[in-house]
Amino acid sequence: MKKHNDGHLSEEWIIRAVVDEKELSEEDHCHLMECRLCQGKVERFTAHLQMFGERAELSVPPLTKIIRIPQGEPSAVKYRPSWIHFAGAAAMAGLILFFYFLGMDVMSPQLATVQAPENLFEDEYLMLEISEMLEYPLSTELYEIMGDAADFEEDYMQFIVPDFQEDFQS
Amino acid sequence: MATEESKNMTRKIAGLAEQAGKGNRGNFQELMNMFQQDIYRLAYYRTFSRMDAEDITQEVFVLAYRKIKSLKEPQRFRAWLYTIAVNRCNDFLRKRKYLFLLQSRSAREQEFEEAGDTDKSFTDTIAKKKFWEQVKLLLDKLSAMEKQVFTLRFMDHQNINEIAAILGKNESTIKTHLYRALNKVRAESVFFEEYRESIS
Repeated sequence: MKKHNDGHLSEEWIIRAVVDEKELSEEDHCHLMECRLCQGKVERFTAHLQMFGERAELSVPPLTKIIRIPQGEPSAVKYRPSWIHFAGAAAMAGLILFFYFLGMDVMSPQLATVQAPENLFEDEYLMLEISEMLEYPLSTELYEIMGDAADFEEDYMQFIVPDFQEDFQS
Repeated sequence: MATEESKNMTRKIAGLAEQAGKGNRGNFQELMNMFQQDIYRLAYYRTFSRMDAEDITQEVFVLAYRKIKSLKEPQRFRAWLYTIAVNRCNDFLRKRKYLFLLQSRSAREQEFEEAGDTDKSFTDTIAKKKFWEQVKLLLDKLSAMEKQVFTLRFMDHQNINEIAAILGKNESTIKTHLYRALNKVRAESVFFEEYRESIS
């Protein structure tokens, strides 16, 4: 990086001096102290920046609103927001657990308890299901096709398919 | 002399902030009177809108009043207040970016009305409008961090040490961003045309 331009500080180092003179090396700092040209550049740039700042300050429209502080003492509660988040998360977790167990209870009461194999014979609900399955091992549709359904109407069937043997005898 | 005066002022602010932290409303009011113009200007330099800057100023002091008990070092009240203001402005600008379509009255139109003080001439109003347009062009050339550092240093008149405290960065980072910002400003801005001519 070229620091000097014809023995003077380059523009880059002039800007560094404007930012903070301590940024310059001792040699450059000594040069700046002695060189009127470099000093002039730093001063001119600083003056332009200052003028810019002052002009900005003067160009701001005046504050018309009356700024007020709220009634009451300042609050000392520092951790309130995190407390609110924690309480919210706990409530949500509680609700999820509640609905989870409620759902399990409604959907499959028999799954809620796990029984030992030797106790299964004492389970009335299970035994009833097994006996029903033994008595009617096929689905209802199959019994209807076979004519063995529980609500099968003998008279209706007689009407649809008359007994030819009886007609023949009569 | 000036340093002594500045030290006295810092001590006074620290004393007021300490008392305000203990619940003294009057002391907070005094701090507010001392800093409201500075905070308003800070907000205006970022929003270019009088109404938005006033609202932000109000919000900053409400927030500062609510949180002053959490300020552990009252001597850093100034930097603390500026941090609140800068963060509030950043939040506002972020929201404004998303609400851009809803804000049919652009800042440019608004500013023209606002800059027109009743006791000032029309020429003055035009000059101010033009000035802010050029400031916007200048700031648009800078990155977010360069813009922040440049504005705090040369418009809000904060020194490097204070800027580092406000933005929560170290001093060398601030100097680097400031150097980059000044390089762009010197090379491109119309405000520094005269300076460019003088050194060429």
